Parts: sequence; structure tokens; C-alpha cells
Amino acid sequence: MSFLKVETKIQEIKKAFHSSSDFASRVLSNEEDRLGFIYLKSITDNQLFAETIYKPIALTKKKLTIKTLQEEILKPNDVMEIEESEIIDNIIKGSIVIILEGEKKFVAVDLLKYPTRTPSEPPTSPVIMGPREGFTEDFKTNISLMRRRLASKDLVMKQLKIGSYSNTKVIITYLYGIADEKIVKKVEQRLKEIDIDGIIDSYYLVGFLQENENSMFRQVGMAEKPDIVASKLLEGKIGIIVDNSPIVLTVPFILFEDLQNSNDYYTNHHYSSFIRAIRLIGIVMAIISSGLYLALQLYHYNVLPLNFLITIADTTQGLPFTPFIEIVFIFFLFQILYEVSLRLPSYLGLATSVVGALILGDTGVKAGLISPPGVIIVAVSKIALYLVPQQSSQVTLLQVIFIVLGGSLGMLGVVGGLVYFTNYLNKIDSYGSPYLAPYSPRITNDLQDGIFKENIADIHLRPESFHNKNKVRLR
Amino acid sequence: MKSTTISARQAGMICTMSVLANKIFLLPSLIYEGAKSDGLFVVLMLFIVDLFVLATFFMLKAKYPNNTLDYILEKHLGRFFSKLIYIVLMFFFLFKVLLTYSVVYAYLKGQVYQDEFALLALISVIPVVNHAVVAGLRSFSRTVELYFYAISAGILVCLAVALVNNQGMPYFFNTSVPDFFGTAFKHIFTFGDYIFLFLIIDKVRMEKKEGKELLKFAGIGIFFVLSIFFLFYSIYQITAFMHNNALTDILSASNQATSVGRLDVIAMVTIMFLSYFQLSIFAFGFSEAFCNVFHKLNRGYSVAVFDVIFIVVYVILVGRYENMLLYTRNWLPYLALVTNYLIPLMIFFMALPRKKGAKYEKNY
Repeated sequence: MSFLKVETKIQEIKKAFHSSSDFASRVLSNEEDRLGFIYLKSITDNQLFAETIYKPIALTKKKLTIKTLQEEILKPNDVMEIEESEIIDNIIKGSIVIILEGEKKFVAVDLLKYPTRTPSEPPTSPVIMGPREGFTEDFKTNISLMRRRLASKDLVMKQLKIGSYSNTKVIITYLYGIADEKIVKKVEQRLKEIDIDGIIDSYYLVGFLQENENSMFRQVGMAEKPDIVASKLLEGKIGIIVDNSPIVLTVPFILFEDLQNSNDYYTNHHYSSFIRAIRLIGIVMAIISSGLYLALQLYHYNVLPLNFLITIADTTQGLPFTPFIEIVFIFFLFQILYEVSLRLPSYLGLATSVVGALILGDTGVKAGLISPPGVIIVAVSKIALYLVPQQSSQVTLLQVIFIVLGGSLGMLGVVGGLVYFTNYLNKIDSYGSPYLAPYSPRITNDLQDGIFKENIADIHLRPESFHNKNKVRLR
Repeated sequence: MKSTTISARQAGMICTMSVLANKIFLLPSLIYEGAKSDGLFVVLMLFIVDLFVLATFFMLKAKYPNNTLDYILEKHLGRFFSKLIYIVLMFFFLFKVLLTYSVVYAYLKGQVYQDEFALLALISVIPVVNHAVVAGLRSFSRTVELYFYAISAGILVCLAVALVNNQGMPYFFNTSVPDFFGTAFKHIFTFGDYIFLFLIIDKVRMEKKEGKELLKFAGIGIFFVLSIFFLFYSIYQITAFMHNNALTDILSASNQATSVGRLDVIAMVTIMFLSYFQLSIFAFGFSEAFCNVFHKLNRGYSVAVFDVIFIVVYVILVGRYENMLLYTRNWLPYLALVTNYLIPLMIFFMALPRKKGAKYEKNY
């Protein structure tokens, strides 16, 4: 179907965009030809448009056809011949669409220009030694960061588009020959089945990728650094890169992955083992210490060493609250301060710390409202939480549960809680990988990279916790 | 389909957990009452019978590697007797839960909570046990695997401290034969835990030489129990019958305990873990038997029925833990004769190797 006037077509497309304010069009006429340019000025490089498209076309003496535009005038650019039905898609993607009067087809030139940031060290995964690059919101940058680390023809990138309004590009990446194709297909199938209006961040996909959808424990790995994702792909996992998100998802995922840190691989393995043990102890402390303190204080004070018992008795004497209310009060105070400090501008952060630590904490103790051991126990549990920041939300919920268990049922409640939640976690399988592997069930091979990490030169096999095709990583 | 099998190693750990708990709290002093220090040999004798059950399990597993007990019983005894055996096992495990719960409750009430806390104890125990049963054997066995070494370390600490504190040897061979066997009969119900393995025979993966793993862990459990009995009788000698909790009391007699604070917190935490695990194993046994009696009802129903029966029987029939001990000594040995001897003996004959030339069935 041909059309008579460029202006008519421009108006038609403008209407399709609901006369959006960033919709732009130009009409260029010379003696023989009339052209129309349509684009979204918010996502296209206007300067490049003027220099490499508008100017050469305006100055040319040649007859303007799609062929001459593609092969001669606009050659240095990424030029495509498109159908009428593809016009809107190309404009959304940041292309300039050229309408040639009398032609049935159109020309699209990719001039996408988003505001992007350069790869920098992500705030949650800093390293002392090792690569500092982090993913950005631009998926092209993220793909190039991955390609740089895994320069192999076997690094597969499969692109999907999810979200009826957002049209978000989602890339499934894995290493062919290592990753289990069945899992790749399963992930692809799950992503293809998503029919949602928009995917704003990669976290939107977590709920769709989890095998136990309503579990409070996350079953999808999240990484902000390409070196981490590359190492996971080498273990046979699958990465999911989402446009507009600096977080790359990985599956399968086991809980122990969060106890590992990229620093562990860039430092002496003896020290890594020590730090991992500290992390494990810290996270267990973070979960149960407040509940345990309550259980000991309320029900089992006779098992405490005498000096410790006297200290607690001295400091808690005359408090207006019961120990349970006191711990709950301090806990929520810390949580409120944490939430406030996240949202306040940085210049007010210091003031919040002063108010929190000095006024609320110190004055609270002096006023006889809360006890120093209570403040210390809750503070330790809140600080220890950030030994494994990826688990902070789950651990915070567990802290509340264990406070209730310890405060109401004593040690029996705390132990019962541990057994219950371990059973619960053991029920979770992430794409065939036991959630508490390599310890429950014990997978001897994977203990090499467990709490006690071995030298990389001694780790010959890929983890058995994850299904992968090629077992040998070091020959 | 998601696999529901467990390894021989995990089955072995479950065996260890099933023989601990109710045998290392109150039992040593109860047995001492009847058989003095020779109670140790009573326990040894009863364990030898348990090992026969274990041997029968190996034989049956070799003959029917992937078949369920239901299938094996029906094949040899017919549908009616198969159901009857499951009903007997259902009651066996129900009373096992009641006994363990009573013993644990008595310990916690007397030494930890020092107050009446019946409701709290039920609130603590029932959700955990229910969840363990509903979550399935695979997750439960993994949980046991995760805590196994920590629990073993707890018991070993208790044993080590008691060994350091031990001043002598128990006086053996001072019990009459009727007292010896009378005591064995009275406490027979506390044993026979390995029968649980028959219920999960199709779910245990037994590759080459893996049977040794199962045997190793079962042996660890028996070693722990016998060691605790031995040290308990060594430390307390003729006053052993006055001490109601062997694992805690072998610790609290130590000089080391007082110098570093209350070491018995280790025993306390160990006992709590053991109790949850043992109660879950027995509840799982009940549930397996229930699901085989009522094929159309799923595990959720078995848990609901278990809860109702458990609470009703506990409140009405047992009421106080002393009553449960009375039943255990007076009535339950007759049930144990069936479950610990008659049923394993019948299964033993079923497990005997086929005659030469007989065709083996294909496993499914």
C-alpha cells in the first residue's frame, strides 16, 4: 500500500503515540523528493541525527530511494528496511524512521541514546582486592561485561521480551555444554508464560522463577557484579539479565551461596574459611540471639553463669517492662531507625545516628526504661545481620519469630523453631538443587567450597549440588 | 517426579536418633530400680534383639529392594493380616510418642521450667512434629543429617565430662535372674525402634556397601546409650535410682560443671533436639501406618488424626507422666512382644532367601 502525503503518515503515527510531548517529526523536501523523519526525542541522539542523517540527506544530489539511503547516504549508520507494521516498535526502541513519499517500505536508523551510568562498584558487594565493576541499568553494557569475562562461543544469550507495556528485554544466559539444557528450557518456559503489564526490575521475575512461590526464603540468586555471575555460569547455573536493572538473577540457587562472597575467591583460602565461619556464626547469632537471651532470662536463668546472672539481675531491676516487651521495644526501635536512615538524605543520617545511639539508647538506659544487656543483645543481632546482607529481609523476619518463640516457650521454643525452619528449608529444592546443600544433604565434593574452602588448585570438579553436564573444571 | 528416597547414611542417622531420647533420660534409673547395675546387661540384651530386627531389615531389603512393606505383607499374609499389622504398628508408634512425650515433659517440668507448662509444651511440640511429618521423610532425614554431628558432639561432651569425673565401676552381677528378666520385660516397650525402618523400606536407597553406613550409625546410637548407662551407674552407684535424668545428671556431678557455669545447658539443648527428632520419627511411623491402613486418606489426615488422638489420650488416659510409666511397665510390654518380636520374626521368614531356581520378581 502506498500513500500520498508524508504529513498524513506522520499525523497517523503521532496519533498512535497519543500526541506524546517527546514525539518529534521533520519533513524535508527537495526538488524531486519529500521525506519525513519521525522519532522520540527523549531516547534518540539528536546531535547524531542532525550530523549523520539529516545533513547528508539534505545535501545529497542523488535520487532518494530506500536503496540509495541504505547503501550510499546513510551507510555508516545501523540502517534497516522495515515494514509499516514495524514502525512503532522501532520508534520505541530509539530508532529514527524515515518515510519516503511514494515508497511502500520505510527506513529505520538506530540512534538510541539512554542516560546510562558507567560500571562502578556496587554498594552491596565491595571488594578489597578484585574486580570492582558492577552491572548497570543498561543491558547492552551488562552483556558486554559478561562477554568480556567469558570470551567463549559457548556463552549463549537468549533474548525474550516480557511486559505488555514495558516490553522489557530479558536475556537468558548460560554456558553451552556446562548448564543443564533441561533447566534452561524450564526457565525459558516459565519466563515465556509470564503475561504481565510491565517488568520494572529484575526482582519482578523472582516470584515467577521460584519453585516454592510463597516461601519467605528467596530461591533465586542475585548478583550485582559480572565476575560473580561469570563464576556462577561456570558452575552450570543460568543467568537472567533484565534491561533497566543492575541486578542479574541466577538459578538454581542454594542458601549457602549467600554465605560466599566474591572476596573469598580473591584472598587466601585459609582466611576465606575463617571469614565464612564467622559469617555462619554471625548469621545464626543474628537469628536466635534475641530469642535465646529472652529464653534464658525468663525460663532458664539457672543455667547462666552466676556473674552473668548477677549483672543481668542488677541491670534489669526496676525496669517498667517485662523482658519480652523490653526486647520487642528495642527491636522495633532499631528497625524504625534502620528504615529511617535508609530514606533520609545522607546529611541527616548522622543526626539520626546521634538520636538513635545516644538519645534513644543511652538516655533510655539511664532513664531506666531499657537495660544495657537488652540493648547489646539486640544491637549485636542487628549488626550481625549485615554479615550476609542478601539475607537481611528473611533474617529480620526470623528474628521476630525467634523473639516470640524464646519469649513465650523458652529454649524449647527456640530449639523447636530451629528444627521447624530447618525442615522447612530442607523441603525446598531449587531446580533440583537441595536448598541447604552441601550440608543437608551432605555432598562431599562440594564441601571443598563450603565453610572450609580449599585452594582453587585443588577443586577439580564443578559443584554436584547443581545439575550440570560437564563435571570437570580443572584437569 | 520429585524423589522421596533417602540415603542409607540418612536412614542410619534416623536409627541413631530413634534409640536416643527416651532411653537416656529416665530409663537408666528405672532399670536400676529393678536390675541394679546389671541393668546395663538388660539394655545390651534388648539391643541385641533390636539388632536382629536390623538384620531382618537388611535381608528384606536384599530380597525386595524397591517394594513397600505393604506389598510384601500382602503378598505373604494377605490383605487382612497386612492391615492388622499396620493397625498394631499404628498404636505402637502412638504409644511411643506418648511415652517419649511424657518422659520429656517430666524432665522439662522438673528441671528446666520448674513449673506446670502443659499447654506450652504442647504448643512447642505439636507444630514441629506435624510439620516434620507433612514435610516428608526426605526433608526430615536431611534435617537429622544437619544436626546429627552437633547432637553427637553434645552427647560426647556429656560423656567426656562424666568420664573425667568417674571414680569407679558399677557393681555388676548382683541381680537375681527373675529380677533381670522381669526388668527386661517391663521395659521392653522402650526398645524395638528399628521397626520404623520396615515402614520406610522402599524409601531407603541402599547402593553397594551402603548398608555398612546404616549399621555404623545404628551402632553409634547403641554405643551412646550403653556409655551413658555405664557412666551413670558408675557415678551414682546405689543412688542411681534417685536420679531422674541420666544425661543431665552425669554432667551435674562434675567439678568442671561448676567452674565454667552450668554445663548442663549442653545436655538440656541436646535433650530438646533429641526429643523433637524422636517424637517426629515416631509420629512419622504412626502416619505411615495410618496411610497404609486408610489408603484413601493422605498424610494431612494422618496428622490431624494423630493430633486429636494424641491430645485426647494424653489428657484423658495419661494425664500425668507417672501414669504413662505405669502403662509402659504393665500393659505396653504385651504390645511390644508383638511389635518387637512377633512381627519381626514373621518378616524374617518372609525375608529368607528363595529356594534355588525360584524366579525373582521384577522390582518396580
